[in-house]
Amino acid sequence: MSSHPSTLERPPAFRGVGKSLLLTLPILLWSLLMFSRAFLQPRHELRLASVVVMLFMTVLFFLMMRTGTTYRWRRYFFVALGLLFPVGFIADLVAVRGTMSIPIDRMVSGDTPFCYMVIPMLVIPAALTRTIIFPGSILPTASNPHSIAIMIGLWLALTLVLGKAWCSYACFFGGIEEGFASVAKKPKIRRIDPRLRLVPWAILLAIVLLSAALFEPVYCMWLCPFKAVTEYPAVRSVQTAIQMAIFVVLFLGLVIVLPLLTKKRTQCAFFCPFGAFQSLFNKINIFEIRIDREKCIDCAACRNACPTMAISKESVQAGRTLSSCMKCGACVDACRKHAAVWHVKGTATGPSSERSRLLFLYGAWAMATMFGGSVLANSVSYLLHFVM
Amino acid sequence: MIAPSLSASVWEALVLGLATGPVCLASCGPIVVPWMLILPNGWRLRSHQMTVFLTARLMGYLLFACAAWWAGSAIPHAWGGRAWAFGCVQLLLAIALVIYSLGWPKTRSSAADRGSRLIQIGAVPQHGRTGAATLGFLTGINLCPPFLVAGVRAAQLGSLPSALIFFVLFFAGTAVWFAPFLALGLVQRNRAIATVARITAALLACYYGFLGASTLIARIFYV
Repeated sequence: MSSHPSTLERPPAFRGVGKSLLLTLPILLWSLLMFSRAFLQPRHELRLASVVVMLFMTVLFFLMMRTGTTYRWRRYFFVALGLLFPVGFIADLVAVRGTMSIPIDRMVSGDTPFCYMVIPMLVIPAALTRTIIFPGSILPTASNPHSIAIMIGLWLALTLVLGKAWCSYACFFGGIEEGFASVAKKPKIRRIDPRLRLVPWAILLAIVLLSAALFEPVYCMWLCPFKAVTEYPAVRSVQTAIQMAIFVVLFLGLVIVLPLLTKKRTQCAFFCPFGAFQSLFNKINIFEIRIDREKCIDCAACRNACPTMAISKESVQAGRTLSSCMKCGACVDACRKHAAVWHVKGTATGPSSERSRLLFLYGAWAMATMFGGSVLANSVSYLLHFVM
Repeated sequence: MIAPSLSASVWEALVLGLATGPVCLASCGPIVVPWMLILPNGWRLRSHQMTVFLTARLMGYLLFACAAWWAGSAIPHAWGGRAWAFGCVQLLLAIALVIYSLGWPKTRSSAADRGSRLIQIGAVPQHGRTGAATLGFLTGINLCPPFLVAGVRAAQLGSLPSALIFFVLFFAGTAVWFAPFLALGLVQRNRAIATVARITAALLACYYGFLGASTLIARIFYV
């Protein structure tokens, strides 16, 4: 994994050890709370995995505090989440069902785990007919605790507070392509048409309209690249074979090949309709990245560093990022003149930027620990089970 | 089955149209929304285009009413040509959406115009009546569930004029639900929205094209 250029520009010790530890304490306590249930589980692999993941998350946060940088440490967590999520998910599926494919009877009985990617497609059918077009259970059941109501409630609360940070701190899928984007030292493809940034909006519009017309989650049926590494409809007809082929081609192209060639999160930037939907919430969210025009020397370091092309020449001129900013911190860490800063809307820019960063990171890392931490612990416990 | 009286069927048609309007709204949304967003700004232009669209849609309804009355009540369940009609309409919708996303092909084009029209954001295509009429007619004969219900009822009526009146009133009931689409005029048309709408139209064209082609292929090889 190549190191991010920005981290070399910052002083190695932004804060002292004591102060960094003190700032890390709330996250340590939060992690203890989040993993407390896992510590009581009879599976010793899960207990051990929970301790390992809790330490992993806490140490990364400590390093964020100590170095004053964000992107690099967040990336370690995010890539681990992306790579390990399929391990735990597939292991769970195989343990429960014996296969990664979803049999029709499971769909009918509402045992399909709810995925947040469906949320934009639910809105219009629910408004018009009060029908949820997903074969899951609205309230939690013994066999499916990840119910629709709980997932939507959590997602809405976190998105209102943190905006599109979901895509950089909680999404199970983005880490896979971020991992592949980190492999090459330099991009093979440098020139990318910025108009491709509009494609996720078009896909969002198309799937929302088609889902309302057909009463089925069209994205899950036809376009989700991550079906290739999670679960998919059992291939029993020409149609399901075509669907599976689309999933695999999209996964190989957008999640592996293009990130390797461009060093960008191409699926997130140029395809993901959920990301476009999340961008709407960036408008009403208090956290943002500002670019101080007085300090900015137009070196384009922030634009080059941004993994989703969420900074354009025009947005730099306006002193802001685009609404597709995922708040990963790459631009802030990359800026040698400290022109790109974390900011809370309604407050003054400048000296308070580190306080804004801290405020944001506590929320974002708490979310990461809550969602990603449990996923990581589950996956690591499976790996330990195979090793031990 | 006893044929309903004309006075009873008048109310039934209107209520059926109003009641199934949300389904019509959802069924026609993938066609109407990108089309309305591609249109340039201006309430007058959009209202005019919507009027043409609805008139053509009414023509489609009336054509279907004639066919339904002629074929009797067998249409929705056993009519052998249903798959053909459905497949062809989907393919034609796909072609219409492709034209809307890319624009009409020019007979003579300069070298600069030979690139993809899809990415020439902001270039406003010509908006005559043909496009709106084509989309309206094709959505008018598209076999959505409320339409089939109305077709069954119209087929049970005693005369062709009764079937036509039934469909006119059914159309009136559903047309009310198209008024919200005019609110898309509130969305300020800019380069980005026009491009998004065009890409959306292209994506939807792929879907309708696949649906139409697979229906026809299944009809050819499996029947």
